[in-house]
Amino acid sequence: MFICGYHFPADMGNKISHEQVVEKVTSEVGDISDLSYAVLTSENRDGIKQEDLRVEKGSFLFTALVDYYKKSDIEGEYKMLYYTNKYQMSEVSKAVDGGVTAAVCKKLDDMLLYRVKVA
Amino acid sequence: MAELRQIAFYGKGGIGKSTTSQNTLAAMAHYFGKKILIVGCDPKADSTRLILHEKAQCTIMQLAAEAGTVEDLELDDVCKPGAAEFDPANTDITEGFIMCAESGGPEPGVGCAGRGVITAINFLEEEGAYDQDLDFVSYDVLGDVVCGGFAMPIREGKAQEIYIVMSGEMMAMYAANNISKGILKYANTGGVRLAGLICNARMTDREYDLSKHLAEQIGTQLIHFVPRSNHVQRAELRRMTVVEFADKTDQAFEYKELARKIIANDLKVIPRPLEMDDLEALLMEFGLEEEVEADAIGQKATA
Repeated sequence: MFICGYHFPADMGNKISHEQVVEKVTSEVGDISDLSYAVLTSENRDGIKQEDLRVEKGSFLFTALVDYYKKSDIEGEYKMLYYTNKYQMSEVSKAVDGGVTAAVCKKLDDMLLYRVKVA
Repeated sequence: MAELRQIAFYGKGGIGKSTTSQNTLAAMAHYFGKKILIVGCDPKADSTRLILHEKAQCTIMQLAAEAGTVEDLELDDVCKPGAAEFDPANTDITEGFIMCAESGGPEPGVGCAGRGVITAINFLEEEGAYDQDLDFVSYDVLGDVVCGGFAMPIREGKAQEIYIVMSGEMMAMYAANNISKGILKYANTGGVRLAGLICNARMTDREYDLSKHLAEQIGTQLIHFVPRSNHVQRAELRRMTVVEFADKTDQAFEYKELARKIIANDLKVIPRPLEMDDLEALLMEFGLEEEVEADAIGQKATA
């Protein structure tokens, strides 16, 4: 099973809890003390930028985006988010971050392509 | 040498199985150096065209008909090296390679297409195609196994792990559930397992949620959501995979990620197909089907 890019062994089954995902991502992200926000940009199918979204430090969504950014080997300042990952991040964030990230998660559930940068 | 893994891509006709499988297998060879044999199990013989840069490969059934019988063929006649970077002789980009064979089938409306699949796989095995230095054999199989012949790779225990290509559309989900029933039927005798659903997205509303819920309910995983991209069509016009055509594009990275997951995947399950009522309930929950009153079934629309 793969969630947020991480492999959860088969003996954990096909329903991994949000808590297990949070634990995994948080333990793997490393030091993020020097980072304070992530910026998401959305694009339509023609590659035309739609809007910027800012995710502040202190949520699972922020941690997951930083982790993705740090681990990604995609070149460029803004790194394309795999669709699978953006949906999974949104699903977990809606459950564990509450209203803090609700507006951003609603956007992430759409069909647009997102790119991320952390600062 | 790592153990040979025999995988298969199944799915509803027209869902994009051949496109998805070729792009994913190309990513496995290109980025991860995997050595692969593709066995196309579709009379259309389009399971290898993007790897070979050809319109369609001569099939085993075609060549056998020309030669007299399948016994008159040699392995080199039917098993072709991929073009450019997928050729085993070309190691400029990757140590990986892709060999290609197509089973073929009878003329439309005549005979059993499944028999071509059986003949082809047996021939390839007997001629030692699987004895080469391979990491993966991949079967690309037509339709949703309503015909026993197309179930042959799972029935005979040839393919051990099955990936179902589907989308968030109703018929694709019906087909995915049907294929799960086929896998269940042979899981105990042949050892075949369901390894995941791949959503080849149509970009419809809530497609990820719907696909993920179906996967969960039948006991497997939605291993990857592949978005729709014009790069796929552009590459296909050149008879190439996206990975080869434009390996720095977003779509190439999506296939790379799917390839990485398939290589690392260990979640192989005996599926729990849904009953039709449960499947319809799922479709209704996600808005693909509207609930109707019992007395409205079969009634014409009112003006």
